[in-house]
Amino acid sequence: MVLDRRGFMKFVAGAGLGVMATPIPWKLLDDAAIWTQNWSWIPRNVKGETSYTYAVSKMCPSCVPMKVRMVGGRPVRVLPVDGHPLGGGVSSIAVAEVQMMFSPGRVKRPLYRAADGAFRELSWAEAVTLLQQKLQAAGSSTAFISGDENGSTNDVLSAFARALGAGDIFLMPSEAQCAARAAELMGIPAQLGYDLENSDYVLAIGANLLESWGPVIRNRRIFRDGRPVAGKKELPARLNIAYAGAVQNNTAAVARPWLPVYPGTEGILALGIANMLIAKGCSFDSPDFSEFKLLAAKYNPEVTAKETGVDLKKLEAVVKALMAAKAPLVIVGSEFSQGSGAAPVMAGFALNALLGNINKSGGVCLLPRAEAGIDGASARDEIFKNDLTAWIADRKTPQALVLHEANPAYALPGPQAVAAFLKAVPFKVSFSTYMDETAALCDLVLPIGMGLERIDDVNTPYGCGKTVYCISAVAADPRADVHNTANVILHVAKEMGKDLGFEYYEDLLKTKAVRYEKCDFAVLAAGQAAVSEARVEFSGFTARADVLAKALSPKTRGNKLGLAPYAKLNLGTAKTGIPPYNTKTLRGTELDGKDMYVMMNAKTARKKGLSDGDMVVLDSGKQQIRARLRVFEGVMMDTVAVCLGYGHTALDEFSQNKGANVMELMVAVPEPQTGLNVWSGTGVTVSKA
Amino acid sequence: MSAKKEFNVKWGMAIDLDKCTGCGACMVACQAENNLAPVADASNKLRVMNWLVVFELSNNKEFPDHEVAYLPRPCQQCAEQPCATVCPVVATERNEEGGIVSQIYPRCIGCRYCMAACPYHARYFNWFDPVWPKGMEKALTPDVSVRPRGVVEKCTFCHHRYMMAKDKLRAQGKNIFVKGEKRGTKHSAIAEGDYVTSCAEACPNGAIVFGDLNNPAHRVYQLTHDNPNAFRLLERLGTDTAVYYISSREWVRRLGDNYLKDEITQKPEKILPKKH
Repeated sequence: MVLDRRGFMKFVAGAGLGVMATPIPWKLLDDAAIWTQNWSWIPRNVKGETSYTYAVSKMCPSCVPMKVRMVGGRPVRVLPVDGHPLGGGVSSIAVAEVQMMFSPGRVKRPLYRAADGAFRELSWAEAVTLLQQKLQAAGSSTAFISGDENGSTNDVLSAFARALGAGDIFLMPSEAQCAARAAELMGIPAQLGYDLENSDYVLAIGANLLESWGPVIRNRRIFRDGRPVAGKKELPARLNIAYAGAVQNNTAAVARPWLPVYPGTEGILALGIANMLIAKGCSFDSPDFSEFKLLAAKYNPEVTAKETGVDLKKLEAVVKALMAAKAPLVIVGSEFSQGSGAAPVMAGFALNALLGNINKSGGVCLLPRAEAGIDGASARDEIFKNDLTAWIADRKTPQALVLHEANPAYALPGPQAVAAFLKAVPFKVSFSTYMDETAALCDLVLPIGMGLERIDDVNTPYGCGKTVYCISAVAADPRADVHNTANVILHVAKEMGKDLGFEYYEDLLKTKAVRYEKCDFAVLAAGQAAVSEARVEFSGFTARADVLAKALSPKTRGNKLGLAPYAKLNLGTAKTGIPPYNTKTLRGTELDGKDMYVMMNAKTARKKGLSDGDMVVLDSGKQQIRARLRVFEGVMMDTVAVCLGYGHTALDEFSQNKGANVMELMVAVPEPQTGLNVWSGTGVTVSKA
Repeated sequence: MSAKKEFNVKWGMAIDLDKCTGCGACMVACQAENNLAPVADASNKLRVMNWLVVFELSNNKEFPDHEVAYLPRPCQQCAEQPCATVCPVVATERNEEGGIVSQIYPRCIGCRYCMAACPYHARYFNWFDPVWPKGMEKALTPDVSVRPRGVVEKCTFCHHRYMMAKDKLRAQGKNIFVKGEKRGTKHSAIAEGDYVTSCAEACPNGAIVFGDLNNPAHRVYQLTHDNPNAFRLLERLGTDTAVYYISSREWVRRLGDNYLKDEITQKPEKILPKKH
């Protein structure tokens, strides 16, 4: 057989056709497609059996209950827990809490500051010995700051403080502190609670109910259930929310209506509404009702409108709705969950008393105060009596400072002054999960587990309408060399001969669960909450018109614009910074590279000669920050709105170099008669940079 | 466009814009569930990978008449897909009971025709290889493969959860479908709530309702059928999307499409000019 040209061509064509008839080319193409996308540096999924554990978020201020999906023992997702009194969804912080276990900003092992100023690693044994020596030397000149107002670690810290003879123990400022002080001044021996579950009309004055006030996820679940979906037939809402505040924030977006008011005038608005209610025949039983009535009368509708900027027609409609509601509720708070003082809460309580809803279904409830679980420890309300900003302003520098999950160098007004104060403290130790601004200033940084990695508890967060007690069990293996703050302190106390009665924190929680909440520890640790409907009997109160008259007097703004800070959970907290998975939630009108946006309406911008996109300087007289201007019509006149959560200098790449910290502009001033400092009425000038 | 495929089951969403507060929990839940890598600077929205974006809407009135609303935008899962028609390698198609538009990454050649075709800008191109901070890859879910640079991604209505719900039925020896009320129809045997997307599951406001748009027993059906407040984005393009939005506010509904000045949204066809 001779292979001629024709034969060769036949062979090639036949071979070609033959190969094409086999799966070879298609398989090769398929493999090429797969393998060109299958690089070694692309992470692979790791399979495993799915299981679930339960925990309560200690990172999210709303204390979200979490169902944690584990795959082969690894936590991978946070899912919502239905049927839990604090649950109903997940917050934008808690939903990526698993991922935050691997955040680059974590403190992985104990660190101490060496002579050259740099951090060096040391073992836990060395760290505990060092801590013990320093605290022994400092003795009663030791101060404590805690950033977790709902956990029993405070019991351990306060019991240890008492054992040392130290009285300086503080919680970071919050709405709960303002409310606790308000209750104390009014002679109410209880924690103020709000029965949102059974209310049909809520007027939130300043309280950013659906984003940053109280247990937000629980608030939002109630809102979800209370508002019907718009359909062919208009169904009556079971819950209406009206919101008064300077910024059209997340709550205002769905409120009906939004009442724009100047920032820092929430208390005055409450008095103005009180005057309108009294004129309609409302009253309450209080020894100083006549004084209160006289004070409220000063805030007639015209004065109220002038001082707060509120639209009278809208306000009258809201008052009418409050009067018509079966279970009306007024909640007064701060748009950024701090710094508004006790007086606005007191005015709010008086409003609720006028509406006759104290200890009634859907009204304000008087909850038993959280008790301490260790003999000699201070209860939460006792610790709240100490004002941290006032103490720092007094500059009574302690010899040692113990911080637990607190970041005052970022989160307090005037962070630079706070940092200067901290630098003057000879020894400071931070128990922290992340290397935040405060930890970066400390002499000793001790890593603690995130909520998912440690056992801890949550005791009736401020805002709840019932007593709620939860145990957050260990859901995942720690991703760093961590110990629980309370365990370390219990050990150090014992070594110093000041046994606090418990060897481990878990023992305290077990005792506490049984002793105070009459519930089974194992059931709580499995994710169930202990709920109590118990209330403190309402036996009258004093409205403290004397305090309100001084604390809520109108303030002149002059040429300055009102500064309206507002909080958003997707920017994390002072402790966490911006969670890695949350940077994408920031819109282009909120952050552009390193520049954050501040907002004012077009009329205000025109008055100041500014336009959209301008780089501006906000000046409080003491400090300045730079930002870009966004013209947004959802801001009150003569007001500039600034979001909290930017301007971190520590933590990680997801938080650093993004905008400026609005707390730089805040000026804390004493609130007359209440013993608290306030910083919600700060004014600023805004000019083109 | 290709011939429209009808399915017995059509998974869809009803998103209540009167309830959404724009918190972003749905966006974060989506990223964590579907293994989207975080980025330190997410300012450049053309380069950032997001399957679900919450847009801010404004009524464009001056203070104090200003109103704001938030609109979460996943893939709209069109029954008439502009994307699938232009894909040269059939990397995206809608050919499975349930009506979810697939995205098959190993087939995708990264030409981005589908992105250009999508009127909802719901598709994203992987400009960069996904990088997690050291150790964070240990928190990846096992259900969704990690995509390399060079491919287009989009929301899949958490399709892996659909598969898991079906697997659960199979493991129990049950049928995947049950007979529908109407003759000749059938519904998914997956109980309502057994298959929900990660965003709907996370939303604390209950703003996102997920279910079968063809099943009268499902809430999503009840919310979207015969509801004058329900609308779809760019409805008159004829894409027949599976994502409905609901708002009692006329100005919000108007933003859903390009309405003429004197049209109202609820029944636009009735007042269209004669020579439209």
